[in-house]
Parts: sequence; structure tokens; C-alpha cells
Amino acid sequence: MILSPEILTILILNAIFALFGTVAFVLSVRIFLKWDANATTKTQYALEKQSYLAATIVKYIFAIKVPLFLFFIFTLDKISNVLTGAMCGAGVVDATDYGNYLFVLKIINLYIFAYWIVLHNEDVKHENQPYTKLKFGFFIVAFFLFIGEIILEGIMFGAIDLEEMVSCCGTIYSSSAGSYMAQIFAIGNTTLVSIFYLNYLLITLFFFLKRRYLYSVANLLFIVISIVTLITFFGTYIYELPSHHCAFCYLQSDYYYVGYLIYALLFLGTFYGLVTGFIETDAKNRLRNYKISFAFNTLYVILLSLYPIIFYIKNGVWL
Amino acid sequence: MKSKINFYLIEYAINALLRQRSKNIFIVVVFTLLTALLSSIFYITNSIKYELDSTVEALPQIIVQNMKAGRHYDINVDRVDDILSINGVSDATARVWGYYYFEHAGVYFTLVGVDQFETQYKESLAKIVKSFDFDANSSMVVGQGVQRSMEQNYYKEYLNFVKPDGSMKRVALGGVFDAQTTLESNDVIVMSKEDVREIFDMSQESATDIVVTVANPEEISTIASKIKLLNPNARVITNEDLRVSYQNIFNYKSGVFLALFIIALFTFFVIIYDKASGLSSEEKREIGILKAIGWRVEDVLKEKFYESAIVSVFAYVMGVMFALFFVYVLQAPLLREIFVGFSDLKPTFELPFIFDVQTLFLVFFLSVPIYVAATIIPSWRVATLDADEVIR
Amino acid sequence: MIQLRDVTKIYELNKNDSVTALADVNLDIKEGELVVLKGASGSGKSSILSIIAALSKPTSGEVLVDGKKISKLLDNFASVYRRDNIGFIFQKYNLVPTLSVRDNILLPLVPLNLEESVAQEKLNVVMKLFAIEHKESAIVKNLSGGEQQRVAIARANVNSPKIILADEPTANLDEKLSLAFIEILRELKSLGKTIVIATHDPLFFGLDFVDREIEVHNGKILL
Repeated sequence: MILSPEILTILILNAIFALFGTVAFVLSVRIFLKWDANATTKTQYALEKQSYLAATIVKYIFAIKVPLFLFFIFTLDKISNVLTGAMCGAGVVDATDYGNYLFVLKIINLYIFAYWIVLHNEDVKHENQPYTKLKFGFFIVAFFLFIGEIILEGIMFGAIDLEEMVSCCGTIYSSSAGSYMAQIFAIGNTTLVSIFYLNYLLITLFFFLKRRYLYSVANLLFIVISIVTLITFFGTYIYELPSHHCAFCYLQSDYYYVGYLIYALLFLGTFYGLVTGFIETDAKNRLRNYKISFAFNTLYVILLSLYPIIFYIKNGVWL
Repeated sequence: MKSKINFYLIEYAINALLRQRSKNIFIVVVFTLLTALLSSIFYITNSIKYELDSTVEALPQIIVQNMKAGRHYDINVDRVDDILSINGVSDATARVWGYYYFEHAGVYFTLVGVDQFETQYKESLAKIVKSFDFDANSSMVVGQGVQRSMEQNYYKEYLNFVKPDGSMKRVALGGVFDAQTTLESNDVIVMSKEDVREIFDMSQESATDIVVTVANPEEISTIASKIKLLNPNARVITNEDLRVSYQNIFNYKSGVFLALFIIALFTFFVIIYDKASGLSSEEKREIGILKAIGWRVEDVLKEKFYESAIVSVFAYVMGVMFALFFVYVLQAPLLREIFVGFSDLKPTFELPFIFDVQTLFLVFFLSVPIYVAATIIPSWRVATLDADEVIR
Repeated sequence: MIQLRDVTKIYELNKNDSVTALADVNLDIKEGELVVLKGASGSGKSSILSIIAALSKPTSGEVLVDGKKISKLLDNFASVYRRDNIGFIFQKYNLVPTLSVRDNILLPLVPLNLEESVAQEKLNVVMKLFAIEHKESAIVKNLSGGEQQRVAIARANVNSPKIILADEPTANLDEKLSLAFIEILRELKSLGKTIVIATHDPLFFGLDFVDREIEVHNGKILL
């Protein structure tokens, strides 16, 4: 177990999140069970007040979670220096059984919290607050995922063994790896990249046709295919090395931290894409969500495409 | 809407803070002190780590000592040849040195013996050997700390060393080397190996230890184990071992400190919560008025949040800057003693200025979010007060 | 304009004790009317104002303002309603003494984050109306009683509300200031505002521009 100050900080903040999250959870349960917008009872008035507290807590957690996530990545990088074999965050994530699940869970939770906040903002615009029960019910479910993440994070940091050797991204992301990674690589770049651009075309199509649900679904798929192609294809052009598939290394200074930009664009584009489908709102807002989503997704595609194109222009060949 | 940031609200928040001046000044001061303390600790540890790393660079790669009865004992000089025969060893030198207790001042001097015709194992020594002349007449070159000690005890041009048998050896002062040569130069006296041997009553075949230089730094640990095999009763220390042992003591101290800090933080949390909850009727009235003239609960919450943010960020920035001043300008009196407890590292070295963005983030995460968290519930309580009852 | 239908308001002090501030109150106030609610302290007239301002919710009954049910509004919307429709003049003015006249008047609009020019425009209108434009940057605690009064009234009017509510506005004033206030009321009435005043100050009784005087006693309206 490493107890560096960074890890300690993350654990302390997690403790605070857990504490406040539980408060929000208790309130959510109460509100979910007893909320009655038409009642004029004392209970209802109390619930109204409590819903503000719950909302404030969720906003607070999310506001800290985002920079903390970045900090988490920095921390992984820092730990990789003391963990034999790890050269970037990927090695640290892979050092325990929990690392990968934790990472995916963290990202899912980011989407969930962001979604809750958008739902909440929409809810309070209406006099009868129509989505209150829905949003608190949703939070009840989200809470378990959230606590799961905190517990998992604690376990993961506790389980990192300094004595044990870990693999570097070179082995984790190679086609010879024993896991699902290998199967993905087996599909072949041409197919994967084609799916990627096809998906983007679908997004564009549904954007212009303004088909909400199809647009959202296309965005959901886009998350998956983007990350896959990023690892198998586009990443190699960022590194200019056909065997370097690491999803973490371009977060480092060697690559001008471009990784952060890439992931930010992807998150924002797909998140707003999901919002158009899954949040009921007025036409003006919906249009705004469409535009934001499409803009970020397009920027993402352009940014990623530039790497292989520029490489080809500079060198005359593909990798 | 102009921009997303409501400057009117920020202005109001600042005003509200100033209206509760004494309470808020107290909070800001406490918070600044906490952040300053925390930042100082991190700055000091960062600087020492850096200093440590650079020092370790200068340390010999492998030191071989002879052990007898669990204690360090003189080693035989002919072991040098054995070691030189190992593949990968580029150089092995027998060192003659020791600690001499200067009774008058109650301090220890480090006596380092040099042989003019040998390649020195340390560059700083090479410089000294080049610039000064150790001739047949015993003379020595000393560090500034030694010179000071000597002068304080009225020894100006020579020093009388007391040998183990009680007799004295007079060694003339040949020169003083400047402080830039080494970290440890302060209490060091350089003289010929012969003189050192004489003062410590060591035979010609004895040496204090042997330092080994390895051609390929990656092979240090392998060669160290080979040396150990050849000399089972020897203690073989690599520079990595030294670094790790310093680091461990160091990390241990940081860990203890951090644990204490958490307790302080918790106390702080409780104090803030309490302070924020204790609303004067004045404050309650103000909030009541705001709601009566049309502020929503969210608006009041936002304003309270701005208040927390302003206080905590302000205190954070102040704390970080005070710490910078405290550590790098004042050189962290008192505090650095906690971390610098090694006899080898003399206290007069200067903490180098290391700027680390991650440290800033670390301190930020350990302070601002915690303060804001402490104010969430009290702010909410205020914001949801029934305006009706307050205005009566 | 303002309609109270069978409004009852009970305050629960603790588990066993409660106070009935209003009992089955029915009230109709037309637009542009100036109504004076007469009654001793504790008669319930202040509660009526609170309810019209949506500062408190009736235990039972309904309140309609301009046809809209405001009795059950959630806090957010109640505040917005208040901000846009009601100008409240308090007994003790309740200005922030350390802020300037300008900041005090604009206080209700702070959360709106209006464009500088829009805010200034609104400010100018009310400052002119109540003759305090020359004191825009003065700090309120340095003003005279009369000037503070006008600032309080200006604040109540800054967002051009349709309804003005005043709770014992002259309770802390001397006769001169009280009369000055009455003159301002006349001014407001001429602007077409609907005005409801809760007071037991006899200066208000029998005034020519008052449309109705309603007596409130023990939570009930006496006709």
C-alpha cells in the first residue's frame, strides 16, 4: 500500500463525498417516497427545502469530481514512477484487478452526475417541477454506483503492491495480450476506422434530420467506437509508432497533453448527444444541445483525423 | 444575461463578508495558516528530495566496509585488487577518513585523507588536490565551518590533533576551500592519507572503506552482490540503498506529519461548520429581506457559495504565498529541523527553489473543497429560512 | 386583481400550541385600488400581506393574483412572482446601511444579472420619481430619515411592480415623515399601482385617495 500525499488527498475527499452523498441519498429516498407537488402539508414544505440541499450536494460533488478525476490521472502517472514496469498510468491501472473497472466506473459516474444536473436544471424551470420524483429516484440508483466507485478506489489503492511487477502499456495494448484487447485488434483497422467514420456520418445525418433518439443512440455507440479506434489506430499516429497503443501516454507532457483535449471533446460531444435524447426540454434548449454536441463531436473527429493525415503528408506513407 | 458570471452577486458577497468582518477575518487567518503550514511542508519535502537526489548523485556508487562484531572496522587495502578484478568495475579506491572530536568546540570534524597521485573518487576532492599542495610538511585544507571553529578557539595557523596514544600532531593550515565544492564541506578537513592514518593510528595496509565506481550504473546492484560474495564479512552499500534509507526516514516523517494534519483539518471542519451555523439575528434578518424582495433560495445559496469560495480561495492563495516566503526566503526556521535530522547533511545547506504545479493542486484539494463542504449545510439552512417569520 | 378565498393561516408554535392568524378570510381588491387594512397588532393584517406576497402559504384556501394561483407556488416561483409583481415596504425600511443608495435600490435585481444599461435605466426612473438621484452614490447610513424612506420606496418600485404592500410603514416615523410618506402614496396611486397598507396609524384613516378601509380583528375581516 502506498500512502503518498496524493492518494491520501483523494481518499480524504472521497470520505467527504461519501458522507455528503449519503445525506443526499437519505433525502432522495424521502423525497422519492413522499413528494406530492399538490400537497400543502408541512411535510411537503420540508421536502421542498430538502430538495435544495440534495441538489446542492450533487452539484458540489460533481464540481469537485471533475478536477479530481484529472488529479487522479496525474496521481496514476506519479505512482507509475515508483511501480516497477509501469511507464505511464496504464501500468498502474493494470496493476490490480480493480484498476480497469474503477476507471470505467469513474467515467460512467461522470456521465451520470452530469446528466443528473442537466435533469435538475430542467426540472426547476417548471412550476410544478415535474421531474422531481424521477430525478431523485435516479439518484438513488446512481448513489450505489457512486459509493461503489469510492469503495473500489480505496481497495485499488490499498491493493497496489510495490513489490509486484506490472506490465507497461506496450504489453497491455498489444495484439498478443490475452484479453479482449487481442480480439479487438483482430478485427483489423480498416473495419474499425470505417465503422468510426460511418458512425460519425450517422450522427451528422440524425443531427440534420433532428431525430432525437436515433441521435442519442448514435452518440452512445460513438463513445465505444471512438475509444476503440483511438487505441488501435489514431493513437499510433499521435505517437508516430505503430505499436504504441496506450490510451494514457498522450496525457503526458511529451505529447503536449493533447490527451486531455481529446477526451474532453469526446465527453462533451457525446454527453450533450445523450442529453438531447434523454432529457425533455423545450425546443430552444434542445437545439442548443444538438449544436453543442455536434460541434464537439465534429471537432473531435477533425482533431483525430488530422494526425494520420499530417503524418501522411509529412512522410508519404501510412504507418 | 451579460455573462455567466454574476458580478453583482460577487460584489454583494464581498460586501456581506466585510459586514461580518471579525468573524471572517478569523476564518481567513486560521485557514491561511493551515494552508501555509501544509504548503510549507510540501515545499520543504520537495526541496529536500531534490537536494537528496543531487547529493546521491555525488555519493560513491558502492561503498565496501569491513564488519567485525557487528561494527564497522578497518578494511585491508589489498581487497582493492580483488574488487578491481571484477568485470564491470571501472575503479576502486581505498578511502582513509574518520571523525575527529575537537574537544574545545565540542564538534566532530571529518578528516579526509587524499593521495596526490591517485585519481580522486570525487570531483570536489580532485579540485582541492589540484589547487593545494600537500607536501612533506603536514598541512591541511579545511572547510569554512572548521576555520570558524578553529578561530573561535584561538587556533589560527595550525591545529594540534590528539592521537589515540595521547601524543599530539601538529598540522598546519594550508588553505580553506570555498563553500561551493560540496554539501558536506563545512566540517571537512582534507590532508594527506599518511597524516590521517597517523592521527587515527591506522596501519599502512588499512583503510576506512573502499569506494567502487562501476562503468555501467545499471549494473551497480549486480556488482555489489559479487563483491559481497567475495567478502562475506563485508558490508556493501550501494547509492541506491542510501537513497532509499534517507527516503524512508523522510517519508515516515512526512507521513506522521500528514496524519497530524488530518486531525487539524477535521477540527477546522468542525469549527467552520459551527461558525457558519451560528447566525446572528442580524444575518437572519438580512436573508429574510433578500427573500422578501425576490431572491430565490438558489440565489441565496449561490451568494453564500460565492462567499465561501472567496474566503477559501483567498486564504489558499495567501497561504501558498506565505509558505513560499517562509520556506525559500526565510529558509523555514524550526520546521525544517523536523525533516533534516541526518548527521551527514549539515543544516546550513540552502533549500533550493522547486516549483511544482502538482503540489499547488494538492494543497488546493486538501483545503478549498473541505472548507466549501463545511459551509454547505449551514448555507442551506440560512437560504431556506422562512422569510415570513424573520421579518416580523 | 387580488383575491383571497377562504384563507386560513395557522402558525404552529410547537406540538400542542398553535396560533390562528387568519380564519376564513375572503377579500377582493381591484386593480388600482388603495386599500387600508386597519387593526391592532396581532390582528392578522400583516399575515394578509405575507400571503398576498407569497411569503407564507395559507394553511387552507386560495390566493389568486391576476388570475394566477399563487398559494401553492414552490419557493423558486414564489420568489420570482414576488420580484416581478410585488414591491414591499417594510416597517423598518430594512436597507443595508453600509451599501450605497444605488446598491440598495438595485438589490432585488442582483440575481438577474442584467445588462449594465438596463439596470441603470431602471435605477434612474425610480430615483427621479422619488427625488433621490442626487444621492446615488451616498452610503445609506449617512442619509436623513426622509431620504432613507425614499430609498426604501424606490427599491420597492425598481422592478415596476403592479402591487405595493406596506406593513406599518409609519410606525417608526415622526409626523412630518409620516405625512411625507402619505404624499408619496398619493403619487403611487396616480401611477395606477394597486396598494395595500396594513397599519393602525390614524393618519391613514379618512384619507381622500383611499378607496377602502377594511378592519381586521382576530384573524377575521369585519365588514
